[in-house]
Amino acid sequence: MKLSKNDIKKINIFNSLSDNICEEISNKIKLKECKPNNKLFSEGETGSSMILVFQGQIEISKNMAVKSSDGFLVTQKPIIRFETTDPPPDSDPITESTVKISKNSAFGIGEFSLVLDNAIRTANVYSTTNLVYGILKLSDFTDIVKKYPEIGGKIYFEVAKSAVQNLAIATQDISNLTQAFFYVLNR
Amino acid sequence: MKDINIKKINDFIDRQVMLSNELKLKNSYNTFNDDQVPKSKNNILKIFLNKIESNDLIKYAILSFIMLLFSTILLSIVEWNTFSSSASDHLGKDKPTYFDTFFNTFWWSVVTFTTVGYGDVSPVTHIGKIISIIIMLLNFGIVTMLGGAVASVLVTEKLKGDFVLDKNKFKNHIIIAGWNKYIEPMLKIINNHNHLTNIILINEEKNDLVEQSTLLFKNLDIIHLKANPSNDTILNKSNIKNCSVFMIIPDTSGLLPNQKADENKTVLTALTAKSISEEIRVIAHILNQDYESHLQRANVNEIVHIDSHIPHFLAKHITDPGAPQLYNELLHKENGKNGIHVIEIPEELIELTHEQITAYFKLKQNCILLGYAINKAGFSIVDQMGDSGSEIIRKMITEQIDNAGIKLSIDENIVVKINPENTYRVNNKHKAIILR
Repeated sequence: MKLSKNDIKKINIFNSLSDNICEEISNKIKLKECKPNNKLFSEGETGSSMILVFQGQIEISKNMAVKSSDGFLVTQKPIIRFETTDPPPDSDPITESTVKISKNSAFGIGEFSLVLDNAIRTANVYSTTNLVYGILKLSDFTDIVKKYPEIGGKIYFEVAKSAVQNLAIATQDISNLTQAFFYVLNR
Repeated sequence: MKDINIKKINDFIDRQVMLSNELKLKNSYNTFNDDQVPKSKNNILKIFLNKIESNDLIKYAILSFIMLLFSTILLSIVEWNTFSSSASDHLGKDKPTYFDTFFNTFWWSVVTFTTVGYGDVSPVTHIGKIISIIIMLLNFGIVTMLGGAVASVLVTEKLKGDFVLDKNKFKNHIIIAGWNKYIEPMLKIINNHNHLTNIILINEEKNDLVEQSTLLFKNLDIIHLKANPSNDTILNKSNIKNCSVFMIIPDTSGLLPNQKADENKTVLTALTAKSISEEIRVIAHILNQDYESHLQRANVNEIVHIDSHIPHFLAKHITDPGAPQLYNELLHKENGKNGIHVIEIPEELIELTHEQITAYFKLKQNCILLGYAINKAGFSIVDQMGDSGSEIIRKMITEQIDNAGIKLSIDENIVVKINPENTYRVNNKHKAIILR
């Protein structure tokens, strides 16, 4: 599979870019493949690259201490799964999903790394099917932005948008957790 | 002693939980099987055979019938020599005591099978008698089984009961589980309230005894279910989901006069009711305070424990002579009109202050406003969160609270506010407690 500008356009934050810039980005990315159950990101690590997934399914999970029948355990709690639709994964996932599966033609993960040098990964990412993906390094991206300064605004707007959305949800989560905390204290 | 009691109760609770889980499991199995009912003809026969196999009564009835035919045919063959060439030979003559027709052989079979044994006809040959012995012995087993199956069907029918409730009539009704000496005076007070009320009594007291004690209450429509109230089938049958109040009182039905009510049963009944629906308003009367914590854990809405009032009554005789007499007056001299009542506050008074409402009741209705009964709304953490924030966090919160054995919602309940400050404002959740 050879990466084309159209593959890049499938990814949310890049779809407003012009053809030649997408071409440029696609040239910087080397396609890779991996088997299911391969760890792409670990929570807490730092990284300066974004992963673009073109085919397959991944699971995002967070390390959390939860109470189970065996007492308190730190486990990797699945949060969401992402799956490509164009093309769809070449096999069924190795484990049945317990969480929502979000479907997109292709998607990027770790886009905050395009803004922040050595951004801390906020979750674990595992492949759950065979995966075709590419890595976009911050240094390569910075070079492209230097060459075509006009794309900076568009990309950073998309990144900022998703950051603000995440923040709004996080704020509601905190308020839910606070309510639950007081509720439990008063029982 | 107390420890033993608590252990006993915990065992009870565990068993109850296990039972209800099993029931759920069973139910889910049933629906699963129903979905899989095969439709082809071949399988219809299979289902029919299965039905027969699962129904003892039909099974043994068919077996008996086959045995009847079998013995008739067998004996007709071995006693062939005594068969007349024509049945018309005997017409008008003495009846023979041997097998002369198929019908007579069949007659003998039935008479023998039902153990009636008229003896009007019987086998005459030795081989016929030997076969008869074998048939009689075999038959003895089958007839016993058939009798058992008939008895078991009757018992099941009795357990199921022939009682079918009019679901339209029995809504917002009152269910009282248990029977003791207080029930009659209690019903008398409810009767004096002059509202037509539907009441279901569930206890193991004799029907006629219950009828006798409830006959006079013309405002009450009472149905008696003779059963153990901790049984969930019985509670479902009494349409407990739609009742306004489910009251549990210490049950002395079926006990000797000197025996004490088993309060474990009160806890069990409360648990069963709440397991049917959390929404049911359960009021429980207990004699022994040890059971209070168990009832609280069962989320009983109101717990009545009269003995806890005794120290107060006694002490007040010393510190405030007159106060206990007032209580007595209030409690025992109450009739339809006088006494303490909880009434709606007229709409135009809502949002006014306590002082103004007090004046209204004193001047317009000539009664004393003692305070307010306030309906505290329930609270559900799930409703409160709605669909805000991320689904995964909400799911984790509910899961973890549930795992910790904490209920996800708080029931509606009634709190009382006595004689608040004059500036206290009243909203539509308030009802007035007045003394006439």
